[in-house]
Amino acid sequence: MVKVTIGIDCGSAACKGALFINGGVVATCVRPTGWSPKETAQAVLEELLSKAKVSREETFVVVTGYGRLGIDFADKKVTEITCHAWGAEFLLPGVQTVIDIGGQDSKVIALQKGKVKTFQMNNKCAAGTGRFLEMSAHRMGIDLSEFPVLLETGKSCSLSSMCAVFADSEIITLLAAGKSREEVAGGIIRSVVARVVALANKIEIRPPILLTGGLADFEGLRLELEKQLGSPVAALPLSRFAGAIGAAKIHTPGQD
Amino acid sequence: MIKMKTELPQIFDSFAEARKNGFLAMKKIKDSGKGVVGQFCTYTPLEIFMAADLVSVGLCSTSDETIPDAEKVLPSNLCPLIKSSYGFAITDKCPYMYFSDLVVGETTCDGKKKMYELLAQRKNVHILELPSRQDTPEAKALWRAELVRLKKRVEQDFGVTITDDMLREAIRRRNIERKLLKEMYELSTMTPPPITGLRQLQILFGSQFKFDWKEKVAEIRKAIDRIKEAYQAGERPVLDSAPRILITGCPMGGVTEKVVKVIEEAGAVVVAFENCTGAKQMDRQCREDGDPLTNLADYYLQIGCSVMTPNKNRFELLDRLCEQFKVDGVVEMTLQACHTYAVESYTVKTHCEVKNIPYLQLETDYGTADIGQLATRAGAFVEML
Repeated sequence: MVKVTIGIDCGSAACKGALFINGGVVATCVRPTGWSPKETAQAVLEELLSKAKVSREETFVVVTGYGRLGIDFADKKVTEITCHAWGAEFLLPGVQTVIDIGGQDSKVIALQKGKVKTFQMNNKCAAGTGRFLEMSAHRMGIDLSEFPVLLETGKSCSLSSMCAVFADSEIITLLAAGKSREEVAGGIIRSVVARVVALANKIEIRPPILLTGGLADFEGLRLELEKQLGSPVAALPLSRFAGAIGAAKIHTPGQD
Repeated sequence: MIKMKTELPQIFDSFAEARKNGFLAMKKIKDSGKGVVGQFCTYTPLEIFMAADLVSVGLCSTSDETIPDAEKVLPSNLCPLIKSSYGFAITDKCPYMYFSDLVVGETTCDGKKKMYELLAQRKNVHILELPSRQDTPEAKALWRAELVRLKKRVEQDFGVTITDDMLREAIRRRNIERKLLKEMYELSTMTPPPITGLRQLQILFGSQFKFDWKEKVAEIRKAIDRIKEAYQAGERPVLDSAPRILITGCPMGGVTEKVVKVIEEAGAVVVAFENCTGAKQMDRQCREDGDPLTNLADYYLQIGCSVMTPNKNRFELLDRLCEQFKVDGVVEMTLQACHTYAVESYTVKTHCEVKNIPYLQLETDYGTADIGQLATRAGAFVEML
């Protein structure tokens, strides 16, 4: 019997999907979540099915992410913390710490034998999340994708605000005071990473550390994390799919 | 002697049906000639009010409705319990606060202490000076002296005399009530528990608002019997496999039921409450023979709240409940800006780690905006058990 499982990680910014056949990744897919997590997740599901040329009937679908609650076609729903842990263990066996910087929250997960041992998530504030980076980029009149280019100069400045809204006004003040966009961009990354490191410091972080979530491809952010943590941080090509992969791996066909 | 309040507030007509009924029920009690004492804290010796045949009622509010009004005066970065309680006082929206002839506050946390000064501008307030430690002769003597002062204030304000025998009878009655509520929540030592944590909390919380002692005791008895009968008849509202959670931390009820809901919706069951709504006030009995005020002072001072330093009694109770209720995980609820519980949460966390019991802290307030975030945290916690 062919065993097909699909994991869909419907986050606040992007909806990621991964399709497994007999335990190996066969297809992945990502779309902006937009205003309807349910419709986007449905589209991700259909794209995965068509890529792998399988039917819905022969698959088991596990959904995770903040949008999971509204998705009615799921066979199972699991929180993104558990899924990121499972996904990270699949991508980097033996991983001890997962740092996920997502659209509306960031989390640090300590693992033990591939399972969640403990975790920390940011509170209500958006500081230390992808949304904050996006807001800041917008404030500087650039696209989020242009952010890494600004960082290459190695310039930086200090941002003191603990709150995303205050940080936003601080950015305006810094730009008005004549700081360059490169310096401010460096300051923003340092600030986001400092918030994540504060979370990480609440639990015992041990290497290997894997960066997951939508910002895992962001090299400047990963380097700043390494610098502030004083420890190597890995990012893998499938890092942003860690939640979706974990969701797919959680289900062993035949057990439900 | 003070003049007791019996008339309805001016804004009564603007209230919705349920609130109107709440006011009318209290008015009925007032019209019967009974005085009402409002209090905020488990450390308050209710026996003194009971002995004087007064109605006592908890004034800790549990909704965010009046927080915007409170924030006209109080800082926004303050515990929601304090803001909400003050807000209900200044808006006349809570029948218990409104009809309280005497409000008894206590020097537990700094936020409440200073709020009472503001409250005293509108209400007849008496402050109990609660010591910060439980183990010195000086602290014990201070607390007993404070109870003597409270008794005198009650006698003076309501024109009554409280005898030792009246106090002894009140202690006896309160002990019966504590024992019954303890019997009720100890039903959840069974596997699976016969009731959900939400139901347990609602019974515990609701019992604070029944003002006829005999009726209250009969109702709790009936609730216990019903739960037992249903269990014997095979009713199982909780799965055998549900992980068993103990909740510790700040007082619960009203809006903060959301914490119990997210835990139980994630597939676990809350079996015990190590907080002021639950075991903290029901677990022990007050000594009945001997000097009643000394007995009351000794009993109340030993409640394990995070305002005490050191706070050994909390950990003693926590350990005992974890074992008795076969707890799989501890969830601590701290209210925003509750410094003593927030700081002590680190000690609780490390204490649980040593005992190998998974621990999760959830900070929340009286709003509902964080339910999604609470659900994710509670869900992940239950998944890891």
